[in-house]
Amino acid sequence: MKKYILKRVLTSILTLLAIVLVLFILMHLMPGSPFNDEKLSDDQRTVLYAKYGLDQPIVIQFGRYVVNMLRGDFGVSYNISKNTPISQLIQSRLPISINIGFFAVALGAIVGLILGLIAALKRDTVLDTICTIISVIGVSVPSYVFALALSYNLGFKWKVFPMLYNTADALNSSIMPSVALSMFTMATIARFTRSEMIEVLGSEYMLFAESKGLTSSQIIIKHALRNALIPIITVLAPLVVDLMTGSLVVEKIFAIPGVGSLLVNAIQSNDYNVVIALSFIYSALYIFVMLVVDILYGIIDPRIRLGKEGD
Amino acid sequence: MDAYFVLKKQNEDINIDSNYASQSFWKEVRHRFFHKKSAVVGLIFIILIVFFAIVGPGMTEYDYSTQELTQKNFAPRVPGLENLGILDGTETLSTTTGSKEINQYEAGGHDDLYYWFGSDMYGRDLWTRCWSGARVSLIIAVAAALIDMIIGMSYGLISGFFGGAVDMVMQRLLEIWNGIPRLVIVTLLLLILRPGMITIIFALMLTEWVGMSRIARAEMLKLKEQEFVLASRTLGAGSFFIIFKEVLPNIIGPIITQVMFSIPTAIFTEAFLSFVGLGIPVPQCSLGSLISDGYDSFTTHPYQIIPPIIIMALLMLSFNLLGDGLREAFDPKMKEM
Amino acid sequence: MKKKLLALVLAATMVAGLAGCGNSSADTASTGSASTASTSTDLNVMIETAVESLDPQQATDGTSFEVIADYTDGLMQMDSDGNPINALAESYELSDDGLTYTFKIRDDANWSNGEPVTAQDFVFAWQRAVDPEVASEYSYMLSDIGQIVNAAEIIAGEKDKSELGVTAVDDKTLEVQLNVPVSYFLSLMYFPTFYPVNEAFFNECGDTFATSPETVLANGAFVLDSYEPAATAFHLTKNEDYYDAASVSLSGLSYQVIQDSQTALMSYQTGDLDITLVNGDQVDQVEDDPEFQSIGAGYLWYVTPNIKEVPELTNLNIRLALTMAINRESVTADVLKDGSLPTYTAIPRDFSADFSADQELFKDYCRDDAAAAAEYWQAGLDELGITELTLELVADEDDAPAKVATVLKEEWETTLPGLTVNITTEPKKQRVSDLQEGNYELGLTRWGPDYDDPMTYLGMWYTDNPNNYGFWSNAEYDAILDECTTGDLCTEIDARRDRLYDAEQIVMEEAVIFPIYTAANAQMVSSNVSGIDFHPVALNRVYKNTTKN
Repeated sequence: MKKYILKRVLTSILTLLAIVLVLFILMHLMPGSPFNDEKLSDDQRTVLYAKYGLDQPIVIQFGRYVVNMLRGDFGVSYNISKNTPISQLIQSRLPISINIGFFAVALGAIVGLILGLIAALKRDTVLDTICTIISVIGVSVPSYVFALALSYNLGFKWKVFPMLYNTADALNSSIMPSVALSMFTMATIARFTRSEMIEVLGSEYMLFAESKGLTSSQIIIKHALRNALIPIITVLAPLVVDLMTGSLVVEKIFAIPGVGSLLVNAIQSNDYNVVIALSFIYSALYIFVMLVVDILYGIIDPRIRLGKEGD
Repeated sequence: MDAYFVLKKQNEDINIDSNYASQSFWKEVRHRFFHKKSAVVGLIFIILIVFFAIVGPGMTEYDYSTQELTQKNFAPRVPGLENLGILDGTETLSTTTGSKEINQYEAGGHDDLYYWFGSDMYGRDLWTRCWSGARVSLIIAVAAALIDMIIGMSYGLISGFFGGAVDMVMQRLLEIWNGIPRLVIVTLLLLILRPGMITIIFALMLTEWVGMSRIARAEMLKLKEQEFVLASRTLGAGSFFIIFKEVLPNIIGPIITQVMFSIPTAIFTEAFLSFVGLGIPVPQCSLGSLISDGYDSFTTHPYQIIPPIIIMALLMLSFNLLGDGLREAFDPKMKEM
Repeated sequence: MKKKLLALVLAATMVAGLAGCGNSSADTASTGSASTASTSTDLNVMIETAVESLDPQQATDGTSFEVIADYTDGLMQMDSDGNPINALAESYELSDDGLTYTFKIRDDANWSNGEPVTAQDFVFAWQRAVDPEVASEYSYMLSDIGQIVNAAEIIAGEKDKSELGVTAVDDKTLEVQLNVPVSYFLSLMYFPTFYPVNEAFFNECGDTFATSPETVLANGAFVLDSYEPAATAFHLTKNEDYYDAASVSLSGLSYQVIQDSQTALMSYQTGDLDITLVNGDQVDQVEDDPEFQSIGAGYLWYVTPNIKEVPELTNLNIRLALTMAINRESVTADVLKDGSLPTYTAIPRDFSADFSADQELFKDYCRDDAAAAAEYWQAGLDELGITELTLELVADEDDAPAKVATVLKEEWETTLPGLTVNITTEPKKQRVSDLQEGNYELGLTRWGPDYDDPMTYLGMWYTDNPNNYGFWSNAEYDAILDECTTGDLCTEIDARRDRLYDAEQIVMEEAVIFPIYTAANAQMVSSNVSGIDFHPVALNRVYKNTTKN
């Protein structure tokens, strides 16, 4: 087991390095530079390139970047917040995004589970269709439209929740963004739960449980749901990162000081270091979650480990 | 002895009885598929939307790009329905000083003018634009899904078939690729390549093939030890013959199902790209760019965002229903992914 | 059993996640940073983008300038009409030859740490501005524009920054040496690049200078009390120690970055904001509202043709046809709708009262005239021996430029037969890069004036000026500009003005650029707020005299 974990951790680190390289190359292929401003002259651009080491060959830049990164230095922002160390820029923003993300995942998972459960238990009835439609609408309407509709109705018309994110009232102002973000998770979980439940309900040991004379609610909760839950974490992991898709635009709508809005601005203004650092953090988060899931899985079910690695 | 037993090494001769089994299989699939009502409904909606995407833009006198700045922001007006008091070109504008009801058609004396879905801020007909947009979105999504099917499938099949070191290397590469946030890659790629239909398809294709390759690989692992593959190998068939001629036809079900699910994903990703300004170049439009345009006047002229949203939601719903239906039809006991 | 364990772990993670949210929100509440909750006379201001830098010599964008000016005074400040009036300078003297300014700094001007504002603070700041290591984007304000002795040489790395023509005669006396008389020099003094920085404090802060309330010093009407880099909300309170504190009536300023225009307007309607920008799409919603107003933003938006690289655009008739085919009224009234003004001259109207005769003189060079445009077009095509032409128009992907490009394409294609225009929209940095490298055909771009003189525009089309995106070159034009900047005419106000008109005429005749409109900001200002000074140049909004009931 130790050997397996070690191996997975090592590949994860290699993966992360490769990701930095890919991002680095992509960033440097981008047309324009961080210093293409109307009022900045050629000479000044040259000075700025030299100042930030951007005049060096890309290999050296990459080497330097990796060395600095290992020391925890992600460089400074070139223009969205001039000369501010990225770590400082992200420090206060990441927790906000993660909090909202967690809310969204939790909410989406719970609601999705319930919807999926209903759909599975009432398979091929009107209820099933309604649950399916609800969950598909969740993935059909772009989260930014959903967010604005929420903001307009609950924030502006009925004034239930604040429209703008407020650090002093983080709990209340996280609700609408989280709901808007959770739609995708909810839909995916609902669909997955439904098919898992249908399979579990049809399996032999369920018949056995029934024959033992357990009540149906006991069966569903104690046996079926628990068995269905386990594969669900596998989809939950990538969903955590899919949230980023939504956060990029939802953060803009609710004026949330998170990392998603930062990333959009950084991409548009060629702020290389910010883009690489933020993408790297997202990747690391993703890989970490996958790693945890894999290891948990390996502990519980050795067959998966064997199947995956083939040894 | 040698004369009696020769390795044929000729693929045409090995490929003898491909039709027998499959005929009854497809019949059964069709039966199961049409038995599931939701899947049929999905199919009907897709056919309808495709139909309108083809003929819709031609049904009016307008084209998708001609601007008529004197007729901007007209509310929907439909002949017939207008007499019932709905869709008669009247809109209620909620201003900061209270709401007011206006009818641009009456105010401008345009009695004979009908914008079925209304007109946008440049005075372009939204009906025409919605269906041209649906056309563009469908082309992009289907093209991306088909290409990533080919790439993902080949990758997965090869990786799964050869196994061992090849599999190991290919899977690690895939893991790396998969670890990069997709959206960042798509966005950066489009900034580098400049948005256009081809580049958008390319960017979408690059990020969507991973799921497909996983399925193909899993199926391959399942099938490669089965008798018919072994038989084929014993007869001396080459690796690529086995992969593409023997195994592929047997996993076409899950693959088609996956394509049905990756089309809506592509439509959705394209919508996101439009929102951050990297969608199809103006004045062309896609469902995503129409939604993103309509978004800007969501609180002012909400009718502009409703048609593209509904078309997109229907399209997504239909492809999902169709995908579900196909999955159950191909393999009633199969689980998702 | 193991499965049960996993389910437990999962549940625990989820609960921990939720609990984590609760905890951290409590934490942020207790530190109370950047709270939007504010007392009644705090002005709640919406801004579109976050502050890029609070370092006066590094900042370049309007938002940063506005905030820096909230808490820092320069030697001069702007009155409500945009004229320079004394601020930190108690008085000034100009030598007879017009080459030496001597400023006397107020005795009661203090930094927020209690230190007095001295002449050395200015010397230190101005030397930073020209220091090649700092690479300040606006260093040319001291050299090309301000003509301060040795500024250009220091920027080019030929001289040491200590040789800059600015000296502290004593603690309160600052002497500035100029190469040539500069008529608008005083109006530069309210530009943030010229704001003082306290050297001792700067060195104390090191790299962290101007990144938090603790690392900035105020000497102006307000004091920054909550801020972090790229903050989406921050706050300033009234500076009680300000020498002119008696005339400041606001208790503070509360800034909120809102990128989404609809969220902004809704927040304004619920009373969370006192001033907000509105988008052209929303004008239908607000046009009857007395609180709706449109304020000139000074930016000239124009199309630059790539005269050097694209042979068809080298043809004058083609250029004239393109500029005349634009219906500028329609662009501003039907599409932008934010109060932007159609513009027919290279120097926009309302730029300067002293320089407004051009509106009448040159109004016909690019008038909206489809018939004339078609004639020029035909003449141009005949000269080139072609019947069809495809051009690419590159524009920023932002809202307004993308809309304008969409309309330009349509107007050009309808008016000029055989013309196809393809639009490319891209992020601004890329667009600027393409223009600077000449990698474009037609480019939609803008120019914001930096100081109150026509040269701020005309200087752009000087041969080899980095902003001369069309690579146009005209010896006569260059000669006129030389005459007016460093030559004989630089002190002769009337003669200089006439020569500058001549220069502008050349630009118009040659259709070096196709002016389109002068931008305005459509905005809502709450009716209980008065006295916000709006300026098209340098500082867009000044709140010193603002009152809120």
